[in-house]
Amino acid sequence: MSESANMLMNYLLVGGALFAIGMLGFLARRNMIVMFLSAEMMLQGTALTLVGFGQYHGNWTGQVFTIVILTVAACEASIALALIVVLYNRRSSLDISLWNEIREPSLETLDASSIAEADQAEPVEATPGPESYPHLTPAGIEPSHPGQPWIERRS
Amino acid sequence: MVSTLSLIYPTLAIAIGAVGTYLLLPLRHGEARPGKVHLIGAVLAALGFLGLMLGYLSLPGPLLTGLFFFTFSILAILGGILTVTSRSAIDSALWFASVVLATTGLFLIAGAPFLAAGTIIVYAGAIIVTFLFVIMLAQMEGKAAYDRTARSPGTSTFTCFLLFWCLVYSLLALRSEFTNLGVKTLLPPGQLNVFYPSRPGFPVTMVMDAANRSTSQLTDAEGKPKPHVAGLGETLYTDHLITVELVGALLFIALIGAVAIINPKMPIRPGDSRPTSVVNS
Repeated sequence: MSESANMLMNYLLVGGALFAIGMLGFLARRNMIVMFLSAEMMLQGTALTLVGFGQYHGNWTGQVFTIVILTVAACEASIALALIVVLYNRRSSLDISLWNEIREPSLETLDASSIAEADQAEPVEATPGPESYPHLTPAGIEPSHPGQPWIERRS
Repeated sequence: MVSTLSLIYPTLAIAIGAVGTYLLLPLRHGEARPGKVHLIGAVLAALGFLGLMLGYLSLPGPLLTGLFFFTFSILAILGGILTVTSRSAIDSALWFASVVLATTGLFLIAGAPFLAAGTIIVYAGAIIVTFLFVIMLAQMEGKAAYDRTARSPGTSTFTCFLLFWCLVYSLLALRSEFTNLGVKTLLPPGQLNVFYPSRPGFPVTMVMDAANRSTSQLTDAEGKPKPHVAGLGETLYTDHLITVELVGALLFIALIGAVAIINPKMPIRPGDSRPTSVVNS
């Protein structure tokens, strides 16, 4: 195959890979911000294919439409971030599954048990609790304590 | 048709990449994956994608161009996988910045330096910075449950890699039939004008007219490439003038929309007896 066709194949492969990975991130993650970043990655993939085709056929149209995509991405980012801020203010969480009830009444919703189960998940690195705090030898007179000693886990 | 034997290698590479990405994603119910599984997942994903790339990307042009192309494409794909599988939102945003820089480099290699500069200015300079501001206002430092769980990792990984496999299959099917000019082949470059009117019964459409215009070509009448920004501006404002105006109108409407979403105050209408209360979002 000719060299320019090889170049086109390369661009299409990389653009397709970025598109597939972006779609994966959009479907699989629950954080609204990461979902939106994945959508932007899909747009980057399509921009790559457009530029590849434009160069292959010797036409400006690929680059012109990529400029349009850039502009649309900017508009989408502004509106999506405005929405994310509003939704965060209502529920104090960036979780998209808290808004599961906004759907047609015929569709089944996630039951509360699976959401609760996920919220009780362990952190990636378990932070050590009060049992690991250092014990210092007491020196001097014990001051008056304000109230309950702090024995809860940090974070 | 593509022979089965030549399909085995990309299928294997994509499958390895899929398994690796699945292992890197957070678990469905948030149990921590052991560090070893993460490492295996990372190695598998890298091997899968690298194998696909090295097997099918041929060095385009001179050695330096090919090296830069490989570097940028590998950075783009690895940055993409790390964006999607990072535990905290800030890591995702920074890896996405690296993806944008890599695609900018690819734009440069494709002969689009204005687009490269525009992408850096708009995407990496404005959109990602806005993301970082919103993360600053609304993040929980990666310890929240929604950062550690994935919604349906198996199904979505399978679906997306199936989509990618279908794209690769269609590209491979094109490759094998390049020499016959038929429906399933890649059109040789520079033959856009030659091929379409010569097919029997093909109506010359507005699209072909627009593609044949002199302002639309990358090279001028003698075959020399036009100066880049001048040529891009010429085609933007002659062939795509209405597009430019529509895009400007879209930006304007998005601006109004963003302000309206953030500030949902009830408007004071002339017939009100007293000002309505401010709605708290």
